[in-house]
This record gives sequence, structure tokens and C-alpha cells, in this order.
Amino acid sequence: MDERGAWRLALPLAVAQILFFLAPLLILAATSFATDENLVAFSHQAWADVVADGFNLRATWNTLRLGGLTVIATVVLAVPLALLHLAAGPGLKKVILLAAVLPLLTSVVVRTFSWIAILGREGVINNVLVGTGITAGPVPLLQTEHGLILALTQIEMPLMLLPLIASMGRIDPALLDASAALGASLFRTLRKVVLPMALPGLLAGATLVFASAATAFISQSVIGGGRLAYLPYLVWQQAMVVFNWPLAAALALTLMVSVIIVVLALSALGRKIADA
Amino acid sequence: MTTLNRRALLGAGLGAAALPFLPRAAYAAGSVTGAVYPGGWDEALRAVLTPALKQAHNVDASYEPLFAVDQIAKARASRGVAPFDVFVLDPGPRVQGIDLNLYEPFDASKLSNRAKLPSGYADQYGAGVAAQVVGIAYNPKKLPKPAGWRDLFKPEYASRLGLTGFGTTFGTVSLIEMAKVFGGSETDVEPLFTELRKILPQVAAVAQPAAMPGLFQQGQIDVMYTNTYTVSLLKSRGVDIEFALPETGGVAFGTTMHIAKGAKNMEQAYQYIDTMISTGVQSGLAQAPFFFVPVNTEVTPGPDVPMRSIADLSKFVTHDWAKINPLRARWIDRFNREMAK
Repeated sequence: MDERGAWRLALPLAVAQILFFLAPLLILAATSFATDENLVAFSHQAWADVVADGFNLRATWNTLRLGGLTVIATVVLAVPLALLHLAAGPGLKKVILLAAVLPLLTSVVVRTFSWIAILGREGVINNVLVGTGITAGPVPLLQTEHGLILALTQIEMPLMLLPLIASMGRIDPALLDASAALGASLFRTLRKVVLPMALPGLLAGATLVFASAATAFISQSVIGGGRLAYLPYLVWQQAMVVFNWPLAAALALTLMVSVIIVVLALSALGRKIADA
Repeated sequence: MTTLNRRALLGAGLGAAALPFLPRAAYAAGSVTGAVYPGGWDEALRAVLTPALKQAHNVDASYEPLFAVDQIAKARASRGVAPFDVFVLDPGPRVQGIDLNLYEPFDASKLSNRAKLPSGYADQYGAGVAAQVVGIAYNPKKLPKPAGWRDLFKPEYASRLGLTGFGTTFGTVSLIEMAKVFGGSETDVEPLFTELRKILPQVAAVAQPAAMPGLFQQGQIDVMYTNTYTVSLLKSRGVDIEFALPETGGVAFGTTMHIAKGAKNMEQAYQYIDTMISTGVQSGLAQAPFFFVPVNTEVTPGPDVPMRSIADLSKFVTHDWAKINPLRARWIDRFNREMAK
């Protein structure tokens, strides 16, 4: 097959995408404007409810903020670990990689519930804090935003660490030697050579972590609890408990569009830095 | 030695692939698919109902684990094609199903065990197969026994209390009973929100219903509203937990089974429900580790259930879900907003 015909190879995937992704998405969009379940009568009521309602807007902001803070926390922890991996010998490299992948081998439900045992009032952290006398009584961790970010940081860590390790692994060691030979300090080499070259991995990781943390329905509802309002739970509740499908659809699209905007902004940033 | 050529291999493969599409009747006198609540119900029905149904009617049961609201949502979304043969529902979703016309008309005279049910437990929509008794669960090592719903709002209880909203039947009826104590009614929960606002800063946790037993087990909360089943189950796992019947009365409601509109296995669906209420299955389900509250008058409820027989159920508080359902969406939404930080 010549190159001009090569697009035909992508045809089955394209058809599948249109049938099973684009069509349901359009139905979802239509549902958000519907006033009955047979999609006969339409109004913009659901969208008015999303836009005019401070509660829904705050839930949207909370969701994006949760994604953003989780990205920051994973970056802070993953960069030193990736640097250690870069500097390590083959044995240690394997250990770090295994530790990075290990959480992926456990179901997210199991990981989430084990965090209850860690963050709870009588959990591991509080037992240590109270036992060593650091705090007088148990500190609230479960059902708080910082507790949730802590758990999500561990749950989403592989998504940041793996792309970061991959992009740092592609850095030519000769560049580091050259930087040192030209008199740059270790810190300056890190800042001027390693981090700029690792940036594509960092941005890929940030995109994955953001999208995954902002939509982490199970962790948000189990660890976050009923006092923190996030969009994924509201979508589920409107669709499955309240049966307000138009509002559920409008909230689902709000979540999708706002996550996509952040992801696009991240990749635009990546391109801009790459061009500079 | 036989050489496998491509055609033979393909033929064998296609034959194997076609197996699941053969009529199920080829294996047994039929099959039936019942929706079942995930977790305890799923385990219990597989362990007790499946073998009993096979033995009595040679019918194979398979299960579709779905919460009540999910069963209604799925039946609604599938627009007329029944995703399973039998629903199992709490009263709220039951009434929704009636309103949405999701059930086949039910002929209770087809149940051989009908006489063993209290009167009113089988009607033109379906049959009661279990009951739930809802009250207060507390940790006796941490707190004295609460007298009633009002106690939950006292500081010593409120600071150990786990709250859950109107998303479930047990949550809804408990919150209604609390509202009643403060001057509200089945259709007016406003006084409850006024009281909740006062204790909210102290409350130990506000959580999704499914997370409550775990939070209790982990010591995050020491008092919650729940059913006797959850108390028995946690107790059997070594958790310090006791059931307290509120002074204003325990709440009871039935769990019912209904045949889905357009069900493919009508006869087997009746056999499934009939076997479910039989004395053997009901007494099996009432025992450890399942702890169901039986509806069969020949079966004695377990030790944590505050009644001697299902006949006592008339002494418990019940609710009119035809009145509650239209208000519930607003209450759920209101609860979200009141709880949000």
C-alpha cells in the first residue's frame, strides 16, 4: 500500500471512535438540553442551573483545584525520586522502578480503602502523632482536602514518576559531564540542563495526574466524604439517585470541558517551552 | 497423530464461541437472572437461594449486582428491554418502579408459600422477601446507650456521629425520624436542617452510605444510624457495636421483589421469588453470616433484631414513600449544600 492509502488502515479505529465515543458524547450533549428522557423537548434549564448556581460552580472550582494541588504534590515528590533514579546504579534503578510501578498493581479501590486505615482517627498517622506526644489528640485527616491530596498523591504517583524517569533517561550523560567541565555547579546543571530536558516528561505526567485526580470518583467520595463537593460525585448522584439526567449531563460536560481546557493549556505550555 | 489444519481449527473455535448462545434450557429446566444488592445480599443469595432453587425447580439462578437505585436507572435506560428478570428493591425505588411502569403485573396466587407471609406482603406489584429494621448503632465501649434520635444532637454523641444523607432508604427514614423529634414530619425535614447546622462543626464524619461501616470499624465514628443487618455483620467481625431502638420506635421497611416488564423467564421468576420466601431459605438467610430479617412467619429473627416474629413489624414506624419520593431529590440536593464546607 502506498503512503496515500495508509489512512485506510486507521479507518476501523475511526469508525469505532465515531460510533462508540463521538455518538454517545453527542447524545450526552443533547441530554443536557433535554426536558424529557426521550429527547423530544429541549430547554437550557440544566445549563442555567450549572452556571447560575454557586454550589455547582464551587464544586467545579474544587475539582480543578484538587487536580492542581495533586499535580504540585506529585511533582515535588517525583522529581527528587527521578533524579535519584538518574544517578543510581542498575540495582537501585530496578528497586525505584519497581516501587514506582507497584501501586499500579493494586486496585484503586483497595488503595483508597487502605488510606482510611492510615488517615482515620485511630489510624496509623494519628496513632504515631498521639503516641509520640506530637499532638494532644487525633488530628482530622480523613474527610479533609489535605488528607485527600495526600492519598491521591500516592495513588497517582506512578503517572508522574514513569514519564519523568523515561524523559530523564533520554538525557545524554555527556551533556552532564560537559556542563560540569564548563564549571557549572551541580545545582546549575540541574536547573539549566536536566530539568529543561525532562520538561516533556514532567508535562506529560502533570496532564495524566491532573486528569486522573480531578475525576477520581472513588477516592474523592470515600476519602473526601460528604463535606467536600466534587463534580464526579454530583454527576453520579444526579444521574443515579435523583434521576435528573439533563443536569447530570450538563455537569459531566462541565467536568470534561474544564479538564480538557487545563490539559490543552499544559500542552500549549509544553510546546512554547520546546520552541523557546 | 492428527494434524490440525486451519479449517478444522476455525470450525472448533467457532463452535466454542457459539456455546454461550445456545438456549439455556439445554442445561436445566430454565434459568433466571435476579438483580441483587452488591456485597452481603449477593453472597447470601448465591449461598442459600441458588442451591435451593436448583433443588426445588432445577432452575439456575444468576445475579446482577446492583443497588436499588441503579436497578431502576438501568431498567429506565434500557427502555423496555429488561436487563434482568427480577428486581429486589427498597420501598422508595419500589414506588418509583410502579410510577415508571417497570414491573409485570404480579399474580401472588402463583406463590406456594404465600400463606407464610404476613397479609399485605404480596400484592399486584410483587412480594416482600426481607425486612429491614433501622435504628441507632453505637460503640458501647465509647458511649452510653443513646435513648433516641434526640441524643445524637447532644455534644458527646454529635462529636462521634457519622452522618449520611437522603441517598439511601435507611438514611432517608432515619433523617425523617430525627426531623419528627424536632417538630418536623414525613414531608417536612426543615427542623432537622436547623438542628444539623448547630452540630455540624463537631460531627465526626459526613460520608457516603457504603463508607459508614468502614468508618465505624476504624473508630472514625462511634455512633451512626443503620439497620440491624449491619450491626450483626460488624459484630460478627469483632467490632464493638450494639443496636439501640430509639424511644420513638424503630423504623421498619420491607425489601420486595418484582418481575421486570418484558422478563424472558416468567415462570422461573415466580419460582425464584417463591423459593426466596420459603421457610428453608428464609431461615438460612436469617442466620450468621447473613443476618436477614425474615418475612416468613415460621422463621424466628436473629438476636440483634428487636422482634420475636415478623408479626411484631406492625409495631414499628413505617413511611409513605409515595409522599417522600417527590420531595427526595430536593432533600438530597439540600443535604449536599448544607454539608458542604
